[in-house]
Amino acid sequence: MSNQNNPLELLETTDDVEPTTRSERWRVWIDLWILTPLQIMWKDRRTRYGSLIILLYFMVGTVGVRLVSPATQNEGPAYVQPFDFEYTHMVYGYEVWQFPLGTNGFGEDIFAQTIHATPAMLQMMLAGGVFTAFVGAVVGIVAGYKRGTTERILMTAADIQIAIPGLPLLIVLAMALQPRSPIVVGLILGITSWAGLARALHSQVLALRSESYVEASRLMGFGSFPIMRDDLIPNIMPFIMINFMNAAIGIIHLSVGLYFLGVLPFTTDNWGVMINFAYNHGALLSWAGLPWLLAPIFAISLLGYGITIFSQGMDRLFNPRVRARHATTMDDSDEPDPMQ
Amino acid sequence: MSGTTEENVDSESPRSVRSEGNTILEVRDATVSFEMERGESRVLNGVDLSVERDEVLGIVGESGSGKSMLANALLDAVVDPGKTSGSVRYFPPDGRDPIDVLELNDDELRTFRWEEISIVFQGAMSSFNPTMKIRDHFAETIDAHDADPEECIERAYDLLSELYLDADRVLDSYPHELSGGMQQRTLIALSLILEPDVLVMDEPTAALDLLMQRSIISLLDRLQREYDLTLVFITHDLPLVAHLADRIAVMYAFELAEIGPAEEIITNAAHPYTRMLLGSTPNLDAPVDEMRVIEGSSPDPVAPPTGCRYHPRCPISRDICAESSPEFEDVSAEHQAACFFHEEASDAVTYPIGEDNDAIETEGSSTSSRDYGEPILSLDDVTVEFEGDQSILDLFDEPEYVRAVDDVSLDVHEDDVVALVGESGCGKTTLGKTIIGVHRPESGNVTYRGQDIWEARDSHREAEISFSEIRGALQMIHQDPGSSLNPNKRVIHSLRKPLKKSQPDLERVEQERRIMAMLEYVGMSPPEDYANRYPHQLSGGEKQRVALIRALLMNPDVILADEAISALDVSLRVEMMELLLDLQGRFNTSFVFISHDLSNARYLAEKADGRIAVMYLGEIVEIGTVEQIIHDPQHPYTQALRWATPDLNPRNESEESPIRAIDIPDPKDPPSGCRFHTRCPEAREICRQVHPTNISTNGSEVACFRADPDHDYWDSPSIVNEESDDDETSMSTLD
Ligand code: SF4
Ligand code: SF4
Repeated sequence: MSNQNNPLELLETTDDVEPTTRSERWRVWIDLWILTPLQIMWKDRRTRYGSLIILLYFMVGTVGVRLVSPATQNEGPAYVQPFDFEYTHMVYGYEVWQFPLGTNGFGEDIFAQTIHATPAMLQMMLAGGVFTAFVGAVVGIVAGYKRGTTERILMTAADIQIAIPGLPLLIVLAMALQPRSPIVVGLILGITSWAGLARALHSQVLALRSESYVEASRLMGFGSFPIMRDDLIPNIMPFIMINFMNAAIGIIHLSVGLYFLGVLPFTTDNWGVMINFAYNHGALLSWAGLPWLLAPIFAISLLGYGITIFSQGMDRLFNPRVRARHATTMDDSDEPDPMQ
Repeated sequence: MSGTTEENVDSESPRSVRSEGNTILEVRDATVSFEMERGESRVLNGVDLSVERDEVLGIVGESGSGKSMLANALLDAVVDPGKTSGSVRYFPPDGRDPIDVLELNDDELRTFRWEEISIVFQGAMSSFNPTMKIRDHFAETIDAHDADPEECIERAYDLLSELYLDADRVLDSYPHELSGGMQQRTLIALSLILEPDVLVMDEPTAALDLLMQRSIISLLDRLQREYDLTLVFITHDLPLVAHLADRIAVMYAFELAEIGPAEEIITNAAHPYTRMLLGSTPNLDAPVDEMRVIEGSSPDPVAPPTGCRYHPRCPISRDICAESSPEFEDVSAEHQAACFFHEEASDAVTYPIGEDNDAIETEGSSTSSRDYGEPILSLDDVTVEFEGDQSILDLFDEPEYVRAVDDVSLDVHEDDVVALVGESGCGKTTLGKTIIGVHRPESGNVTYRGQDIWEARDSHREAEISFSEIRGALQMIHQDPGSSLNPNKRVIHSLRKPLKKSQPDLERVEQERRIMAMLEYVGMSPPEDYANRYPHQLSGGEKQRVALIRALLMNPDVILADEAISALDVSLRVEMMELLLDLQGRFNTSFVFISHDLSNARYLAEKADGRIAVMYLGEIVEIGTVEQIIHDPQHPYTQALRWATPDLNPRNESEESPIRAIDIPDPKDPPSGCRFHTRCPEAREICRQVHPTNISTNGSEVACFRADPDHDYWDSPSIVNEESDDDETSMSTLD
């Protein structure tokens, strides 16, 4: 009786469909989630250069710091100009500049300083960006999907956060906590930016939750979590990612500003600290001090530029239409053809 | 109609043989093409057509047949980067020189478009500027054409009241304050304000309810005669124009397939496509068993089939059809078809219209005595309320409470089909969702196999049948195929979800095997290919099928199909309904089928031996078998719906409109007594005061006093001819 009722069993006999094997599934998965995104990224100029720039910073932060020894005081005279052939040393048998970007007022290698500031900056950026995106996304999505009291509490919290002016709050927090770890600095700086994202996501989710397929999932008896994971998040992921990147840039700019103001405690090498020192030592007043100021500014700008163009090309990465066009394991012809 | 244009026609276009000087628009070799990545997309291909003065020409085609492009080409209004070629010539009635529409510059076009030819598009809302009052829209148009403002405004008043609108009120409203039907009528009035000779209408009623559609058609009929208009009416709905049009042109694959007098096209179509279309159009007259499905799908504008474009789907095609394309051949003097073998078509492709169907009565379906047994689902005095943003009338007002469903009782049995029919805003979707436990009623009970659904939900474990079991047993297919599937997930992923719920221990390979089997079963093969597609790679019909499979894989007892076929093309509807019926019989699933279209409801309900329930303003006013509702409707509202449903039999002369007001009352403030009394042609004084309860008459239930021969109603005075001051849209003399 129940067999007769059950469409699944009833149709069982009618098929001779080849089940896909495990290895084939893996191939499809790799194609869909790794090869295709890479291909799409490479095809678009923005994502291509953006990812190359980001990759460069990542390499500098991981490998670069091992190759270039940290700067020490008085390792050369003060204010050596960039690309000065007076000062060279041998690297793997080649004669290269000892101070490619010159030295600062303390006789420290600017190039080495800039390089060694990278890991801390990346950590800070990542911590702040992840914090912003995560808190913003969770609050926005849960509030939008759950409605009712949950929604009211979460959105009120976000509104309060938005209403408090950001910079004074940060200054107070920084003074009070005196964070030394770059990760903690990143988290603190992220506090001001999650609320805006939460608000924007909230309204997007409100629109999405009434889509038919979300209702269909609800009718199948799926709970809030699987619905948010499968039906909501994939559709707002591009938005979250773009906000994550913007937040990351924002964190860098904020930190540089706060270091420059001297609000955050000076710890290790840091682009903001470099700018602060350069400024306070009159780098603006003489040509000789200019590299000291420009090197960190350039490092910040290039990273910001890379992230910005990457995030601009990013929504293509999540667009199923673009993905389908690039996936090799899927096409519209009748013969699904394996990767060539 | 002076004969002054005769010489123009004769001297300059010898090809228009039949025009006899009466041609007002002449289209020659009109072609519209778009450059696309994949190649040139010809969305209109070499159409020749003459529009006669003062005629109503219906242009019929499915979506993607190029009919809207033809409308745009008539006014040289094809959007960039589309290119229009060929010629469109307009012969002014006053004997001026003919105008080459495609040669006009922008300024001339602007004048031409309002003063000579006007066009009304489908979505009225997008034609209005939401920040401007209606009066300003009129003023702007009058201004732009340097017309006499006083005279024009006077005409605006005339036109609006002609269309049963309260001119003062409408003119002082913002567009959003009007209902869809009012907007559409206002747009028609606006387009006629500068006295054009030709009115082109592109699906002007597609977004409206049946009653409103039919009423607008009646009004157009009258306007056309009164203002000596030439009407070009473009639609996907053949029955809708059957009575209105003098001639009908049928489009297929961006070309004209057939053109001829309306009656001849309906009763004696010559092109196989037209015949198939007629045979597959659900309507109330033809026996359901004779309706059939058109195989295949419409061609792609980039790479259309060679030769006759219909040959891949044509049942009588021969080799020559694939090689050369047929020219128009005369079927009779006025009737041409582009088919080599049109003489054979009538024997090869039959359809039931035009034959004498009066005798056909649904034999053997005396279903009133059907033994239903215990109901699966049962609604008891259910009332559902909403915050008032559900109403289209007052989108931006303060929310008020609307009784979307008021005191409804209904049973759904095993293997049953219940079709809910009514105008938009009547609460049919809300009732449907209440039936499957999505909306919680304010009062009343919804029980599933004896277990109160909402009690089960509140008490979690103690219930006899757990809520999650009930949840799985009641599924739904949504209206809009576009949003029924998650755009980011492939088909296989969407279909794996229900299996995870209904059969959690199933192995992955087994899951896939079943999904593939189901895809194959609904005709989506090869299934491996479809399974890996994203929703945007599927057509609307395919998406609906995937949604149907998704619901079925839950192994439900009841599926709610909310207008699930309305978004599909006419020729696909029967196919989809057949699939529903097939699966219903196979898996013993009951369907609650929501539709605004009586013919679709009838098709499903009759074939499945089910019932039709007619809803009006939150109440079920009549429920019964197909036999009772379609052939012997008791309630005046059901009779009105029956009137509004276009039929194809040209012998059925359109009777007088049975309703007194076109517009549906505000659901937030329903009329007292019988809710239908403001529009009912039989209303009497008592109807205004007393609310009728359901009266059973041999199996069907009717909420109208007239069903009871001994009721006080019969002694009450009629209120039909009362001129009510507040009821501005009264239309006792329509037609
Ligand atoms: S020309 Fe041939 S393929 Fe085309 S409709 Fe006629 S018979 Fe069918
Ligand atoms: S009760 Fe009166 S108003 Fe209502 S439908 Fe019947 S006759 Fe018409």
